[in-house]
Amino acid sequence: MLTTVAAGRVFDYSYCIGMYGMSGQGFWAPQDFVLGEGDLIYVISRGVEEIGQRITRVTRNHEFLGQFGASGKGDGQFVWPRSIDLDSEGNVYASDDFLHRISVFDKEGAFLSSWGTAGSKEGELDGPSGIAFDADDNIFVVDSANNRIQKFTKDGSFLGSFGQAGEGEGELNLPWGICLDREGNVYVADWKNNRVQKFDADGGFLVMFQGNDNGVGDLHGPTGIAVDSDGDVYVTDWGNHRVQIYGPDGHFVTTLVGDAQTPSPWTQTYIDANPDIVKARRRANMEPEWRFRRPVAVNVDPNDSIFVLETARHRLQVYDKVKDYEEHSLNL
Amino acid sequence: MPDKEEIALIAHLMRRAGFGASRQELEERAANGYEATVEELLHPEEQPAIDDDILYRYLPGYEGALGPPINQAEWVYRMVNTQRPLEEKLALFWHQLFATGNSKVDNPPEITQQIAMFRRQALGSFRDLLVELAKNPAMIWWLDNNGNHNGAINENWGRELLELFSMGVGNYSEDDIKDASRAFTGWTIEPKIPRNPLGRFYWNFEYRPEDHDDGEKNFLGHTGRFNGEDIIDIVVKQPATAQFLARHLYNFFVADEPQVPSWNINPPNDPDAVNQLVAAYDESDGNLRSILRLLFNSDFFKNARFARVKSPAELVVSTVRMVGNYQEPRPGFNMLAMECNWQGQELLNPPSVESWHTGGEWIDGGALVRRVNFAAGLLGDTSLPGVRTIIAGLRHRGVSAPEEFVDACLDLVGPLEFSGSTRSELLAQAAEDGDLNWDTEEETEKSEKKIGVMLALIAASRDFQFA
Repeated sequence: MLTTVAAGRVFDYSYCIGMYGMSGQGFWAPQDFVLGEGDLIYVISRGVEEIGQRITRVTRNHEFLGQFGASGKGDGQFVWPRSIDLDSEGNVYASDDFLHRISVFDKEGAFLSSWGTAGSKEGELDGPSGIAFDADDNIFVVDSANNRIQKFTKDGSFLGSFGQAGEGEGELNLPWGICLDREGNVYVADWKNNRVQKFDADGGFLVMFQGNDNGVGDLHGPTGIAVDSDGDVYVTDWGNHRVQIYGPDGHFVTTLVGDAQTPSPWTQTYIDANPDIVKARRRANMEPEWRFRRPVAVNVDPNDSIFVLETARHRLQVYDKVKDYEEHSLNL
Repeated sequence: MPDKEEIALIAHLMRRAGFGASRQELEERAANGYEATVEELLHPEEQPAIDDDILYRYLPGYEGALGPPINQAEWVYRMVNTQRPLEEKLALFWHQLFATGNSKVDNPPEITQQIAMFRRQALGSFRDLLVELAKNPAMIWWLDNNGNHNGAINENWGRELLELFSMGVGNYSEDDIKDASRAFTGWTIEPKIPRNPLGRFYWNFEYRPEDHDDGEKNFLGHTGRFNGEDIIDIVVKQPATAQFLARHLYNFFVADEPQVPSWNINPPNDPDAVNQLVAAYDESDGNLRSILRLLFNSDFFKNARFARVKSPAELVVSTVRMVGNYQEPRPGFNMLAMECNWQGQELLNPPSVESWHTGGEWIDGGALVRRVNFAAGLLGDTSLPGVRTIIAGLRHRGVSAPEEFVDACLDLVGPLEFSGSTRSELLAQAAEDGDLNWDTEEETEKSEKKIGVMLALIAASRDFQFA
């Protein structure tokens, strides 16, 4: 379905961005992205061992602007790049869950600094995963293997933490992604507990997002979260290859499964350059290509366009939340 | 406390039915008893599977790996970290028997899917395994059955099914091959979404009745309008099939046999053992769990310690499991996969459908140097957790003098049974290095270095090359 209508909401598939690329134009096993100034998007690629790690600058209009970062353990390099966010000045922060550090670049990609010490004591990191800035330019870091959320100034000074290992409210099991809503509440993808938890800015538990007793709204390994202007919550249900949408109070609304029936311009150029691929595509059932495969991160822009990043398809799919939708005549 | 002989026997079992085991695991298994350990190994479904979520979270490129060595690294990860050792060892066995290579398939995820199928079918019936193999897309492409059409047969799959996968040369005619091939017409693969630029998509088996030759066939003395499964039903009832599979199992799990292509002229080294396996095949209708139960509990198996040369995959995986530094997702599995390649076994890409030559042919000058350097480099690294455990074990035993030091090292690394000459050389080194002493920090450091040297020497020995 290119248009999904449920519970008073309408989600309209729009277009997709990207394709696989070991370097240059394309992404490789991307893990996270952030919407920057204007139509700029930063996408962080994990690649595979010692190849493909980088941050790509691309526009919503498919223009490849360049890349920065590389494989390695030196300044500005990555082993396991995981998450990305921007401070209020547009500087780029990226976590590396092998090197246990946060690297900082300017908006053009010049390396500025890094911080982070491996360990489990206060302010130390073990497998830092999702990162997200608050309105005060402080950064929340999902300290995944320590099963807690830590808050730092943007230069890495420890401010506070919450969460501990477990399955109860406020407890975490290898959490992955994180986002903040407009009120500064904190949403954490509690990955191995198959749920999302919402906390206030001080870590007080507020709401749980997960399947009900009948399995409706289930999550299997949630990774990314975003909140739109209405307070609806989008979760990349990584293990089930879909996006689950919940209302602000945690009730399940609907599911997006991916609808990229038209390839991105980069992909189309690749296809058009290879007559064998054109032929093969005309004979195959293409539906698996449309669908999400390992959706890993989601962001919503101020107009409530929803961007979903897929690790295994190396692309972003974009939906619009339509506000003035008029139902067509159903007896056509 | 289990005695030394019980530990040695369990260690032998774990080298063959798995990729070795730590001393602690050996003692725990020995306490449960040999037969109970065999039963546990024969029921891998009762042990936890590899957590794919964890694997793909930290190494996302492994899922639908785009090319070698990533797909090979993914399998090495599974071999190193499995809690179902026999399941993974059987996947390696079936891969060596039903050799399918990326050199032609050029579609790494499909061969990985084939390995996953081997895991699922590893301990069921041989008949079901052959049917799944015939429907496996990588195999269909590898042996051209997608080009095997009604009225225009391609004999590649039909021939290898009989020659290399079930009966062996000399047990069928060219006409049998032709009619077997006719029976498999229409067994093909669906058109698939091409690779790149959106990653890899999987093939699916497809049966096309309009392309199947439904006419009468004559196959191994049987006549009928056979389809592919009928051919396999006839094949698995042939005495030659039982004999062929039994000899392969003996060669992989018990003792090195002559190279497979010579089997029609060289009889088995131990005909009685092979006959026992054949009988188990017949009695169980080719149930692999039943056959392996007989094998692992037999005297011929128990008496065959160190009678096989480790394959590169066995050497690499067992050494890494022993030193314990690859117990979770981390960078480095690509290099382990490449190490197998450099030692002569490129996983998921055997040299041909005849597979690798095994036994002594794993060893040549270059391969031996790599094997020695790899194993000695790891076992000699006293910082690695498995080596630290061996050091702690030596301290706990209070060994000091050269003879007790050497024997304790051989015991904790294996137990290993080394030849007199190798042991003499180890003793000479130990005597030259002097007694172990843990009285001071400086002496402790020296003693740990001596242990590292001794373990590296053990790993570098001729005897260590055998499983």
